[in-house]
Amino acid sequence: MIPVKYNVRNLRVRWVTTLMTVVGTGLVVWATVLTFGLTDGLDHALRISGDPLDLIVLRKGTTQETSSNIDQKVAKEIANLGGIATDSSGQPLCSSEFVTILTKPRRNNGGTTNLIVRGLQDIGRGLRPGFTIVRGRDVRTGVNEAITSERMAQRFENLALGEKLEINKVHFEIVGYFEAAGSSAESEVWTDLRDLTGARRTPEALSAVNLRCRDEAAKTSLLKRIRDDEQFKLDAMDEPAYFERQMTASIAIRFVGFAIAIFLTMGAMFAAANTMYAAIASRGREIGALRAIGFSRRSILTSFLFESVLLCVLGGLLGCLATLPFNGLSTGTANWATFSEITFSFRFGPSVLLRGVLMALTMGLVGGLFPALRAVRMPIITALRET
Amino acid sequence: MQTLFYIWRNLKRNKLRSILTILSVGFSLALMTVLNGYMAMQGVWGKEAETRNRIVVMNSQGFSGMLPISYVDRVRNTEGVQAASQYAWYGGNYKDEQMPFAQFGVDPKSVFDVWNEMTIDPKQLEEFQKTRNGCVVDRRLAEKRGWKIGERIPLQGTFYRFDLDLVLCGSFDSPQDTGSLWFNWLYLDEGMRAMNAAGTGNSGTIFARVTQSESMASVSQRIDERFASSDNPTRTQTEAAFAQMFTDMLGNVQAYIRNIGLAVVFSLSLVAANAMAMSMRERTTEIAVLKAIGFSRRRVLVTILGEACSITLLGGLLGIFIGCICLELLHTLSSQFMPLSVFEMLGPWLVYLLTTAAGIGFVSGIVPAVRAAQLSVIDGLRRVV
Repeated sequence: MIPVKYNVRNLRVRWVTTLMTVVGTGLVVWATVLTFGLTDGLDHALRISGDPLDLIVLRKGTTQETSSNIDQKVAKEIANLGGIATDSSGQPLCSSEFVTILTKPRRNNGGTTNLIVRGLQDIGRGLRPGFTIVRGRDVRTGVNEAITSERMAQRFENLALGEKLEINKVHFEIVGYFEAAGSSAESEVWTDLRDLTGARRTPEALSAVNLRCRDEAAKTSLLKRIRDDEQFKLDAMDEPAYFERQMTASIAIRFVGFAIAIFLTMGAMFAAANTMYAAIASRGREIGALRAIGFSRRSILTSFLFESVLLCVLGGLLGCLATLPFNGLSTGTANWATFSEITFSFRFGPSVLLRGVLMALTMGLVGGLFPALRAVRMPIITALRET
Repeated sequence: MQTLFYIWRNLKRNKLRSILTILSVGFSLALMTVLNGYMAMQGVWGKEAETRNRIVVMNSQGFSGMLPISYVDRVRNTEGVQAASQYAWYGGNYKDEQMPFAQFGVDPKSVFDVWNEMTIDPKQLEEFQKTRNGCVVDRRLAEKRGWKIGERIPLQGTFYRFDLDLVLCGSFDSPQDTGSLWFNWLYLDEGMRAMNAAGTGNSGTIFARVTQSESMASVSQRIDERFASSDNPTRTQTEAAFAQMFTDMLGNVQAYIRNIGLAVVFSLSLVAANAMAMSMRERTTEIAVLKAIGFSRRRVLVTILGEACSITLLGGLLGIFIGCICLELLHTLSSQFMPLSVFEMLGPWLVYLLTTAAGIGFVSGIVPAVRAAQLSVIDGLRRVV
């Protein structure tokens, strides 16, 4: 084996070329990892929103709370079904909720977009992961108050603490910020159920029922019970399945991510090949000498491939590192399933970074393969004679 | 001329390197073509919408708000409005497919006056107006699905409780693929009433065509003022602004695309500069010889810069070509996502991309070119590579 030191030194001697190639591949990996970080953040927010024991009950035929409606009478019957978990005070963890979407302006002239406003009662808070009020206080019922997340307050006009959100000429004062472990609930504005239906002038309306099952067995029977009831005309699904559906709705961003990855990997591959061809062309004599003192073709091939991979992976690591300042940065886009804004944070988990490094590895391997093959094919005599 | 010949010969000198650089630039610019093409498509789409003099009325609270059907007549009677129709998004599922194409409940009597650029056989239109559960579709959609007149098209409602059982009465031609199906709004509303379902009498949105493009703003204002103190205040905007709303929903896509573009351009400059520097290193002696036999500094500079720019321009052409093929593919695969064919949106953005490509060449070539131009003949001849 040719020592690794040989490759490292070669990269160092040609430092300008090395630096340019590393920065070039780094940027390419950076742009791609950033896009993957975006989709990963979105997926993460949706994934942690669903608890496997939580069911969401909708009108048959719909897959979204925003397009569902349920009779109050039916909602009450559901709350009385067996198998629903109870909270410490013995109340069933079953929450009737009303969801509406409003078109509202973003801050800083970011255009208008749709905002989810959810009306619910206290019991619903226990069904969200890690719900806590982090600033201000929770809403009081009957006085048109609302709470939201800090991220939403930053993104939308009229959602900061003390500001008033207009819903059909009724003004809801924002009295607090809540957190819910980064789940999709943090993309919503919450208010009291009756205050919201009152403002929307649909006093009896309900969109969906959220409930928690006591255990897996109870879940299976509840699912069957709700789906099969001819009178209910309802559909139920567990939350992970519900949010999974929303993930597939963001196919456009995912597509862009992969398009960027594929095109740029190809582009960078050729660039790496170029650098390696030049590296090998100017080292003809060295290669001849290596062969002459007994290094096998295979070890020369490995050595040059390794050099190419080293070059690109250095760039890849640099690109991954450069995305770190974006980690946790909050952003938002349209959730086409609910037709409204979803906010989330960029997330560069191990799988995203791994994809970036894999990309760099591919560039190095494919880009280095042909130059390395050329290096080993050189007959010793001609190689030694080269200038 | 002579210079061009030199540039060409130099390009062919190390074919492998030139090809690799061209491919590298090509693939990266193909990506930029696709991204920029998407933005260009929205621009063209918006401009197209502007020429149609259409305005859109919706509830000021957004799509989920109520827009009573009585508003359609009141909009129609507003001064300056030529035609108006309700346009209610149905969003149903077709057989096992979830919302595979757009479906709207319209007023069959006025819809083709509002969209006067769409044409339909008068007999088919008459049939559509007569048939309660009739529908018409974009010809391209009918061809894609292989639907014939008389075809039954069942749609399962998502947020409307009433399922539609439509009969195809005809197909219309539109300048651009709309991929839409239009059905009689009354059929839906009557169905909803019969079920005692909530949300009847809602027109969804109202599209109206205004007599003169100058009066779009004033007519919109007049409509909004008229409904301002009602239970359902409206928000009226031009069709272009309405389309912009959907783009806005995505968030700051343009800035994102621009940043990705910047990163790509910068990394390409490095790649191209690298290739140029490598090829210059090999040619130091040669350039010294050229200068010794009387080539001026300027000529050396121009030759080398020209070489750098030619490489990236060729790459740019390749990239735009690949990018356009991808855009066209996208258009055929999903006309909802990419409603325009590449040929309908050829424009300055392609020139901009080519300029970017040439610019990359210039930036990458400038340092080696200046160094070569300033190279002293003696040093150059002495240097051993």
